[in-house]
Amino acid sequence: MNWKKFFTAFIGAFIFLFVFGFLWYGTLMSSAHQEVPALLRSKPNYPWLILGHIVMAFFFTMLCVRFVPAGGVFASATLGILVGLVYAGPHLISFAVEPLTTKILWGWIAGAVIQFAIAGGIVGGIYKPSPAHITFVKERPK
Amino acid sequence: MKRFIFAFIAAYVFIFVWGRLLNGVFLKDIYAETPNLWRSQSEMMSLFHWIIIGQALIVFSFVMIYASGFAGGGVIAGIRLGILLEIAAIGMCMGFYAVQPFPGKLIVYGSISGLIEMIIVGAIVGAIYKPTSARMP
Repeated sequence: MNWKKFFTAFIGAFIFLFVFGFLWYGTLMSSAHQEVPALLRSKPNYPWLILGHIVMAFFFTMLCVRFVPAGGVFASATLGILVGLVYAGPHLISFAVEPLTTKILWGWIAGAVIQFAIAGGIVGGIYKPSPAHITFVKERPK
Repeated sequence: MKRFIFAFIAAYVFIFVWGRLLNGVFLKDIYAETPNLWRSQSEMMSLFHWIIIGQALIVFSFVMIYASGFAGGGVIAGIRLGILLEIAAIGMCMGFYAVQPFPGKLIVYGSISGLIEMIIVGAIVGAIYKPTSARMP
């Protein structure tokens, strides 16, 4: 594994996931969240929020690198969409057991898919395998 | 395709039974500590189809990821995928814990059981799903 590229991709994914989360869930969906005040803390617990995003970005980057060892924006973004759908499943379950509104449910699902698709594209765009792992095949003379 | 469907059904049956046992039996007392965070039992039952759809979506997407990038690696590759997906999901749970007043022990027990669940799902999918011979190296 190309660790230097891996860490660059991880940092890129972390920054994107955090900023997108703040904009989408914290700003754009703010009014929807205010409809269910009992389900939210009065003030976010920032150390846990940051640690959660670090863990998420690190293992998502690891997954992209395992899934698409050669890198590539499109393939990693496709993986991101599938990962977003894996995480959309628990949102549907949460809707059934927590008194969430449908606006929150669809906002969370759309957010997860968009967030991981773009994060996948970022990781795929940054990560490249180390040159030692690239095999060159000499073309046969015609 | 046949293997895909078998893997999906087997993993779905496991996840459904595991979810019922975990949330309906083992974690029942922890949920009871925070009744204001949950719907009433009757409301949950009326929305039960969302649980079925949610679990199906998790399993379907998992098998899709396995089939398109990890297939051929067998049980170990399935377990590896399950671990990577679940640890990233634990990060997401930490994020939820940061903004929602869930009890800490619910997050801890939920994360541990989620990891075990996804390891088993990965093993099931890895054992059942095999790529078609044309795609084998």
